[in-house]
Amino acid sequence: MNEKIGRIYFGVLGIITLIFGITDLIVTIGGNDFSWGILEISSDMFRGGWGGLIVISAGLFYLSSLKNFLEIHQFSKALMASILIWILAGTDIFVRITESIPGGEDGPWFNSLEGFLSTYAPPYPPVIFLLPFSLVILFSLSKRKKA
Amino acid sequence: MKKILLMGNPNVGKSVFFNRLTGANVIESNYPGTTVDYTKGYMKGNSEDFEIIDVPGTFSLEPKDKAEEVAVKMLEEKKDALVICVIDASKIERGLYLALEIIERGYPVVLALNMWDVAEDKNIQIDIEKLKSILNIPVVPTIAISGKGFKEVVLSIKKAASVGVKEIMEKVGEIK
Amino acid sequence: MTLTADERWDLIEKISNKVVTFSKFKHTLKDALGELTVKPLTGIPIAIAVLYGFWSVFSSFAGTLCTDGFFVKLFDGHFLPWIQSVFPGKGGWFYYIFVGDPAADNCFEAFGVLTSGLFVAIGVVLPAIFIFYLMMALLEDVGYMPRLAVLIDTIFHKIGLHGYAIVPSILALGCNVPAVTATRILETKKQRFIMMTLLAIFIPCGAQLGIMQEVIPESIGIVLLYLIFGYFLFGFILNKITPGKSPEILIDVPPYQKPLWNNISRKLRMRLGGFFKIAVPFVLFGCAIVNILYLSGTIDWLARVLTPLLTGWFGVPGETVGPLIAAFLRKDLAVAQLSAIEMSKYQMITSVVLVSIYFPCVATFVMLLKEGWKNLLGSLAVLVTVIFLYGGLINVIWKLLGVQ
Ligand SMILES: Nc1nc2c(ncn2[C@@H]2O[C@H](COP(=O)(O)OP(=O)(O)OP(=O)(O)O)[C@@H](O)[C@H]2O)c(=O)[nH]1
Ligand SMILES: [Mg+2]
Repeated sequence: MNEKIGRIYFGVLGIITLIFGITDLIVTIGGNDFSWGILEISSDMFRGGWGGLIVISAGLFYLSSLKNFLEIHQFSKALMASILIWILAGTDIFVRITESIPGGEDGPWFNSLEGFLSTYAPPYPPVIFLLPFSLVILFSLSKRKKA
Repeated sequence: MKKILLMGNPNVGKSVFFNRLTGANVIESNYPGTTVDYTKGYMKGNSEDFEIIDVPGTFSLEPKDKAEEVAVKMLEEKKDALVICVIDASKIERGLYLALEIIERGYPVVLALNMWDVAEDKNIQIDIEKLKSILNIPVVPTIAISGKGFKEVVLSIKKAASVGVKEIMEKVGEIK
Repeated sequence: MTLTADERWDLIEKISNKVVTFSKFKHTLKDALGELTVKPLTGIPIAIAVLYGFWSVFSSFAGTLCTDGFFVKLFDGHFLPWIQSVFPGKGGWFYYIFVGDPAADNCFEAFGVLTSGLFVAIGVVLPAIFIFYLMMALLEDVGYMPRLAVLIDTIFHKIGLHGYAIVPSILALGCNVPAVTATRILETKKQRFIMMTLLAIFIPCGAQLGIMQEVIPESIGIVLLYLIFGYFLFGFILNKITPGKSPEILIDVPPYQKPLWNNISRKLRMRLGGFFKIAVPFVLFGCAIVNILYLSGTIDWLARVLTPLLTGWFGVPGETVGPLIAAFLRKDLAVAQLSAIEMSKYQMITSVVLVSIYFPCVATFVMLLKEGWKNLLGSLAVLVTVIFLYGGLINVIWKLLGVQ
C-alpha cells in the first residue's frame, strides 16, 4: 500500500472511529441505549463509557499516524489503534460466545442451536463495524515486511 | 554432592535455566524480581549428580534489597559451590560486573551468555572465543527458552576453575 | 585480589571493546509499539484498554459462562436438593454445619460446608481465578507488567514508592500471599512496610474479585474505586509519617516477547494447585467455624454487643458479624455470606468495603508475620485506623448523599 492511499484510508477510518467513540460517550451520558438498524450503542458505563473512551483513543491514534505514515513510529500508532479496536471487538465477541453456550436459567444444560445462533445476530455495537476495516492494517503490515 | 549456584542479573533467564536443568517448577516471568527466594533442585550429570540452586537476581554483591541479600548470602554460605553466571547477552556489561565480582571471590564460574537470540535481534556480535581466552573460563552462548547451549553448559561444569583477576587484566592487554 | 567498582568498570570496558561489536541498531516495530505503551499520552489509553479487556473476559468467562451458565444450575438445581434429602440427621447440629438450612433453595443462603462452602470454592471462585491467573500469566510473560510499572511510576512517586511497587500490587490482585514476598524487591524498610500494609488492606484478591462480580456486579465499580482511592490516600499519608527513605530505582523494561504456552500452563497448574491445597480447605473450614459459632449462639451474642458499633458507626446490620468472622479465614467466603443478609444496596457496598479493608486473610497474615513481627504490628495499627476512619467515612458519604 503506498503512502498516499494509506493516509487517505486511515484518515477516513480515524474520523469515523472518532465519531463512533464520541457517540458512545454521548449515549452513555444520555443514559438510554441507542439503536438504529443493525447498529446498537450501549449506555452501559463499562461498554459505552470506558469502551467509548478507548474507541476515541483509537480514532486519535489513527489520525496522529497520518503524517509520514510509513515511518515506523508513525505506523506503529495506526497498528496500535487497530489493536485497541481488536481488544474491544474481541471482548464483545467473547461475551457473545459465553452467552451462547449455556441453556439459560430454566432451560437445558446447553443452548439449542437456534438459541446459540441467535446470540450472534445483530444489532452490533460500533466496534464490530470497525473491526473489518481495522484489519486492513495487517495488509499494510505484510506489505511493509516485504518492502 | 557438588553444589551449583545459578546467579545473574534480574530477568536474564535463571529460572528458565533452573527449570530446564532440574525439571523443577519455579515461576518464570518477563519482569525483574520474579524470584525473591532461593530454590533447590537436583540434576543428574553424566558422572555425578549436582544440587542446583536458583538464586534471586542481583546486580552486584553489595545487596540493595532483601532479594539481593538472599543472593549474596547464598554465595557466602556455599564456599565450595560452582557458579553458573547467567548473563543477558544484549546487556553484557552489567552482567560481566557481577561475574567479575564472583570470580574475584575465587569461585569457579561458567559464563552463560543467555538471550543470544535477543542480542542477535539487536545486531550485537560477541566474540565468544576471545572472551573465553580473556576470562579463561568456559563461556557458552545460550537461548534458555529453546534449550540451545545447555548441553555445552553442563559439559563445561567440569572445566570451570577459579581464576585471578590479575591474569584477566593482563590478558586483556595482550589480546588484539 | 579484588577490584574497586571503578577498576572493575574499567576492566569491563576494555573487555567489551575487544569482544563486542554493536552494529547499527534499527528500531523494530516491536520497539516502536513498546514505546507507545510506556509514554503517558499513548500509554494510559492503552492501559485502560488492557484493563478493559481483562475485566471483560474475566467477568464473562467466570460469571456468564461458568457460574451463571452451569454451576448455579448444577449446585442449586441438582446438588442442593439431593444433599438436603440424602444427608442424615435433618434438624441436628451436624446437618446444620454441613448442609445448613434444609429449606434453602440456593447455595448462597444454605450456609453449609458442603453447600455454600463447595459452591463458593468450586462454583464461583475456581473459574474466576482460573481465568484471572491465565490472563495474568499472559501479561507477565508478554512483558506488559514492567511497562505498566513505568507508566504508573509518576503517580507512585507521589506516594513515595518507585514504580516497581506496582508489581507487588498487581500480584496482589491474584493473591496477597506471593505479593507480600514480592515486596522484597523494594529497597528500604520504609518502602516495604508501606507496600505490605497497603496491599494487605486495600488490594482485593482474585478470589474476592470473582465472588464480587457474582454477587454485586452493578456496584463493584464503586467498591473498587473506593479501595483504589484509599490505596493512594493512605499511601500518601504513610509516606509522610513513616520514617526512612524511599530512593528511586531505574526500572528495567525487558523487550516484549511471545508468551510461551509451556510456561503459562505450568504457572497456571502451580497456582491452581495452590488454590486446591490451601484455599479450598480454608473456605470449607471457615464455613464450619461460622456455623459452629452460630449454633453456640456466639454470633447472636456478638451481633447484639457489636450492633451499636456496626450500625451506629458503619451503618451496616449487626448480622454482618458472621461474615466478618469468616473474613479472617477467607474474604471470598465472607462476601458470599454477606450476600445472604438482608440489606440495602448501599449497606452492601459498605460491608463489602469493610470486608476488604478488614484484617488480611489468615494466609496473608502468616506471610506478613514471616516478614517480621514489628512490621506486622505497624501494619495492624494502620489497619485498625483505616477500618474506623475510612470504613466510617463511606457511611458518612452515604448519609450526605441522602441514600441511607
Ligand atoms: N528471547 C529469550 N527470552 C528468554 C531467554 N531466557 C529467558 N527468557 C525469558 O526471560 C524472562 C525472564 O526469565 P526468568 O527465568 O524468570 O528470569 P530470572 O533470571 O529468573 O529473573 P529473576 O527471578 O527476576 O531474577 C522470561 O520471560 C523468559 O521466557 C532467552 O534465551 N531468549
Ligand atoms: Mg527467577
